[in-house]
Amino acid sequence: MAVTEAAPKKPQLFEQTSQYRHWRFTPEALEELRTANNKRGVERVLQGLREEAQVDDETALETRISEATTNLLTPQEELQLVGYYLQMIVQTIRVYSRIHLLKPEALNNVKATAINFMKRFYLHNVVFDYPPKSIMLTCFYLATKVENSFMKIDDFIRPLQDAESKRGSKIQTKGDDILDLEFVVIQSLQFELAVHYPYRPAYGFFLDMQAYIDDVQLLKAVHDRTHHFIDISLFTDLVFLYQPPQIALGAFKLAAREKDLDIDPYLARRFDARELEVLYPILDDVQDVISGFKNISQKEAQLIDRKLILCRNPEKNPNSKLYKKKVADQADTPYVSDSDSD
Amino acid sequence: MKLLVSPCYHRMCEECVGNRFNAGPAPCPECHRILRKNDFYQPIFEDLTVENEVRIRQRMSMIYNKREDDFKSPKEYNAYLEMVEDHIIRLLYDVDTNEIDHLIERYKRENQASISKNRTKQQREEKLQRIISDQESIKRQQQREEYLKQLEEEKREKEQAKNSLINELATSDKDAKEIVKNKMVQLKKSSLSNRSASRKVQLDIESLLGTIDDGFGDDDMEEDEVDTGPFDPAESPYEAMKIELRDKYDDPNPAFRQGTLAAAGVTREMHQRYTIEGAMAGLFVPPATEEQDARQ
Repeated sequence: MAVTEAAPKKPQLFEQTSQYRHWRFTPEALEELRTANNKRGVERVLQGLREEAQVDDETALETRISEATTNLLTPQEELQLVGYYLQMIVQTIRVYSRIHLLKPEALNNVKATAINFMKRFYLHNVVFDYPPKSIMLTCFYLATKVENSFMKIDDFIRPLQDAESKRGSKIQTKGDDILDLEFVVIQSLQFELAVHYPYRPAYGFFLDMQAYIDDVQLLKAVHDRTHHFIDISLFTDLVFLYQPPQIALGAFKLAAREKDLDIDPYLARRFDARELEVLYPILDDVQDVISGFKNISQKEAQLIDRKLILCRNPEKNPNSKLYKKKVADQADTPYVSDSDSD
Repeated sequence: MKLLVSPCYHRMCEECVGNRFNAGPAPCPECHRILRKNDFYQPIFEDLTVENEVRIRQRMSMIYNKREDDFKSPKEYNAYLEMVEDHIIRLLYDVDTNEIDHLIERYKRENQASISKNRTKQQREEKLQRIISDQESIKRQQQREEYLKQLEEEKREKEQAKNSLINELATSDKDAKEIVKNKMVQLKKSSLSNRSASRKVQLDIESLLGTIDDGFGDDDMEEDEVDTGPFDPAESPYEAMKIELRDKYDDPNPAFRQGTLAAAGVTREMHQRYTIEGAMAGLFVPPATEEQDARQ
């Protein structure tokens, strides 16, 4: 009953996906990548501050730099901050579905894709350059397009503006804030926009298990609960380490344990034992990671966010004088874009 | 006479044990440790130090069951192994036994979770190994049966060919040489088709063939063997997934309960095959290794 025949001559379809080819890491590599990114990001911040000092004489360079260096974020803090905004994506999406801007069947797909985009984006970028608050919305908007739930940018920002005016906040999100970053995000994603997430595999397992487990009602309850664990798995690094079906099955096992259903007999009867030998440690790890996940509280995120204000890269900050000057310089030089021609 | 061994590793014959301990617990005649009749057991090894060591190791492996993956570096793992080995040797040669027992108790208390976790892991691995060996022995059995069947078939065919050859020689008025040659070619063809049918069993029946087909029609048969089947221009470049669908699933998707809701051209079967394929695609892919890593 093996799905993967021994020594296949042809490649398998999933091996061709960009997710499999370009977004699959070992845990060590992930850590290295993040540390290296952080280091380069810090250098860019200091460089940017020096440049800004040349533009604007008033800023006392010494104090600004020392302020920034004492507040620099570690890779761990970066990850926490991004993690918090990943949670915010889910909350924002919930608002959109409540006012029927997103169809319920598209909800999980948009959520998974948006979260994945953001995780991938911060593998190649740092929060010093692009604060997650704005990247989050761009990833979300991009995900609605990718997942076939497109809405106009005006419709998209209206709920955000409503919420802002209700809160009485001074800043108002503009459509351009989101669109300006769109290309940056797509570029960082290496123009690979197809994301594979564990919801469909979980559904597939639910169907497939029906041949082996008689109590379909219980199975259905387990499957519903599985979604909860998959939701959690999206926040973790599992997506960079394992295949979506593996994550789905791990989540399924967690849900099954909660509902007192043993799916091991299904696995033993359905699959080759040699293959299970590979699979079991993976499932163990998936279950450990999911059950060990902790939400990042607003308080923690606020602390990091406050530090971030002091150590942002002025070169990429639209409110900084350096940025404004650069934009002004660019406006002076004659510039003809493709879109200007019509 | 059956020699039994006490927990303090002193030998005694079955009868003496009965005499001495039938009335209840009594001291060991050699070391005066209080023993019961039930404590005596039959040793596996002649040498009692070996017996002792095996038992100690068994007991320790139940408690100190950490694996290499549980440690951050091989160095830590080595230190751990060293410590366990040290405990074993000290228990074996009776050095500071009390202290060691104390240490073991403490370790047990502190690592309860990881001990039981590793134990279930081990049990599962053993179970898997059992299933694997079962599956493999069944497979071997099947292969053997197939092979025997094949042999039987060959034999029968040979017999038949021989009979028909004799028959033909007796009744036909053609040249005898011609008849024999035709028959041989025919025979070889049929055995070849037989062989390709069971190619996956990888049987070597060359020797069987050799007894009949010496020197006949070797050249014109070569091509048939390398034939890989008809060429299909529309063939998928990817490995096909073998999924057996059931006729009926309890499917929560409303689109396939009411036909009108499904998109044009999509059948229930297509949808279900698509979802189950999603579950099976890459299910057994091991985690990325250093070389496969996507780092650029």
